[in-house]
Amino acid sequence: MNQRLFLWMAVAAMATLGSVSAQTAPQTTPKSAKAAADPKTPWGDPDIQGTWTSDDTWGVPFERPKNFGTRATLTEDELQARQKTVSNSEEFVETGGANHSPAKAQLDAKEKGEAAPAPPPGRFGRGVDSAPVPGHWGEFARRPSHQTSQIVDPPDGRLPALTPEAQAKLDAKNKVRREAIPASYTNWSYYDRCITRGVAGSILPVIYGNGLQIVQTPGYVAIRYEMVHDVRIIPTDGRPHLNSNIRSYMGDAVGHWEGKTLVVETTNFLGDRMAVGVNGDGGAPYSEDLKLTERFTRVSPNTVNYEMIVDDPKTYTATWKVAFPITQEPGYQLFEYACHEGNMAMHNMLNAARLDDKKAAAAAAK
Amino acid sequence: MKNKLWIAAAGIGLLLGVAPVWAHHAFAAEFDVNKPLVLHGTVTKMEWINPHAWIHLDVKNADGTTTSWMIEAGAPNGLLRRGFNKASLPPGTEIVVEGWQAKDESTRANGSNITYPDGRKLFIGSQGTGAPGDKGDKGDK
Amino acid sequence: MIVAASWAAIFLSVLPAAGQTAAPRVPRMADGKPNLTGLWQAMGTADWNIQDHSAAAGPFYQLGAIGAIPPGQGIVEGGEIPYKPEALQKKNVNFTNRFKDDPELKCYMPGVPRAAYLPYPFQIIQSQKDILFAYEYATTNRLINMGKPQEAATDTWMGTSNGHWEKDTLVVDVTGFNGNAWFDRAGDFASDSLHVVERYSLLDANTMNYEATIEDPATFTRPWKINVILYRHREKDARLLEFKCVEFTEQLLYGDLVRKPSK
Repeated sequence: MNQRLFLWMAVAAMATLGSVSAQTAPQTTPKSAKAAADPKTPWGDPDIQGTWTSDDTWGVPFERPKNFGTRATLTEDELQARQKTVSNSEEFVETGGANHSPAKAQLDAKEKGEAAPAPPPGRFGRGVDSAPVPGHWGEFARRPSHQTSQIVDPPDGRLPALTPEAQAKLDAKNKVRREAIPASYTNWSYYDRCITRGVAGSILPVIYGNGLQIVQTPGYVAIRYEMVHDVRIIPTDGRPHLNSNIRSYMGDAVGHWEGKTLVVETTNFLGDRMAVGVNGDGGAPYSEDLKLTERFTRVSPNTVNYEMIVDDPKTYTATWKVAFPITQEPGYQLFEYACHEGNMAMHNMLNAARLDDKKAAAAAAK
Repeated sequence: MKNKLWIAAAGIGLLLGVAPVWAHHAFAAEFDVNKPLVLHGTVTKMEWINPHAWIHLDVKNADGTTTSWMIEAGAPNGLLRRGFNKASLPPGTEIVVEGWQAKDESTRANGSNITYPDGRKLFIGSQGTGAPGDKGDKGDK
Repeated sequence: MIVAASWAAIFLSVLPAAGQTAAPRVPRMADGKPNLTGLWQAMGTADWNIQDHSAAAGPFYQLGAIGAIPPGQGIVEGGEIPYKPEALQKKNVNFTNRFKDDPELKCYMPGVPRAAYLPYPFQIIQSQKDILFAYEYATTNRLINMGKPQEAATDTWMGTSNGHWEKDTLVVDVTGFNGNAWFDRAGDFASDSLHVVERYSLLDANTMNYEATIEDPATFTRPWKINVILYRHREKDARLLEFKCVEFTEQLLYGDLVRKPSK
């Protein structure tokens, strides 16, 4: 099943929720705070330092559901519905989940001689993927976003059409990801393999680990992402990009200040591996010609408006843009995320796959 | 109670919808949905490793023998941010794990629902980070 | 020349960095603190072995001279690491299995102090408050908290770093290690009770003294020190590049679980 489709379904599900009364949450950009929003470093650059998280955009679909058309923001009623999901997700985390016991339900049914409850469709329509993620896993948005989608341009909030080459690459990737019995670690995403989530994947909000930290010094801005511990060292002294023979997952970033906005242009990507999407895996693999232009603007003491323009003519038939705020939250800090070092899942999944191979061979021999 | 139902549905609906792009890896590749289990055991070790914490559990079998299980839990960093730390689940703690056994048939399982024997959930709520304004702030500035 | 250099090294290592009277001409931040921002790297072969060692053949004869182990003078003050007897045994086992068990081989985080003398550069970004260390190897990084010291919430590869300035020396206190990191490719190691105090002192604009005091009562009979000089990369446009080594280790780590091509 298409992941994007899945997200819309999730949003549709949220929109149809009942009408438990909800209190109105603070706006992400209080106007009164704007006056105090221009802190400067001792050397005179705009100061955007701190630990930030994209948690508040949690639950905002990446692409806009079609029924919203070109409407970029929610109505008051829709906002209240989202507030409810925000409160519910917080409650889910704070209570450890509302009495869900899917494994026990299966066992109980077995004991009673009843048929096991059918697992609802998961990522690929089967398996434990369909089980609710335990409440203790999650982090959550603190206030509801007004946005109908993370993509704000084109005006319909939807990805431009893929080029035929990109569509073919996406199809090939999906085929590998969905092989019934994975042959190798390369069947999994670069994120599953603990290599990276890429530039976009490191900031697009997911279930947990949406934190990043900005550190500045004269001539540089550094951005450190918690999950898979990527760091970007961004010179702001006007130097050009590295030679195109030097390519990397996180690309080569150079920056400059436009008023109080940090503008970061990143090129020199390794092509045909990562996607500009959730966890660096959602969507078509980008080409080595990808250019990302990001803007970081501090609009209040605790809010930076983030936007990213995606330009990759070999993959997308037009440029597109995502935009959302990142916020500072009291007590929120980054911790070491030694992903590869603790990636027992990779071993376990491959071990399971080889056992499946044996079973399949035995079945075929019968 | 209708409201409660709604909340449960919301939580689960939410998670169902977004889980595919949330979770670090595909569960179905690692755990077997046809092997649900409930384990009552004693914690021997909690490994605070990313991307998933692992709880080591000694489970007494009916025949008096003991089997060591490893239970996959969530990403530790979210728990650390909520104020849990390496002392939060000491060895000797009795817990109940509902989940699914590993597909490779080892004594590993995914911990879908982890509780104390009296039903209280492990890892719930915020322990407080000590930050000003945080609900766990003890007032020591 | 060599004599002069080693004399200088001795002189500098003897001089307590915090007690230097005539402050060297170094780049400074607006508040007067030395500005350590830059791309730094240790010379030498400490990552092969932090103790004195002769040249030796490498594990893979196919690599010829490229794969050989270069000789090097150690960085351990006094030359010897004061292992407890049982810890020395473990070190010897590590040494025997070093081309199989070294965390560097698996692209695991290097820990402290090893990160400082890996054969890769690292970038310091010094803000008006906290200081970021970004290492090229494995995109490891750590933030030195210069505010109110924080206790380690849990044990990690790189530990929890609390820093402060003693005159012109950056002193970093590191605790909360998980005990999995090694000090070098020769199997030197410590336990999860490791406590490292690092001292970074600019000698001039382009060289920096790095000293680390290593304390681990479970492994060593007494605290001991290492001392390395770090050099600034002065090449035009020198930058920290990306060395994501995970994918270079997957066949090694998971290869036996990959489906074999059918014959």
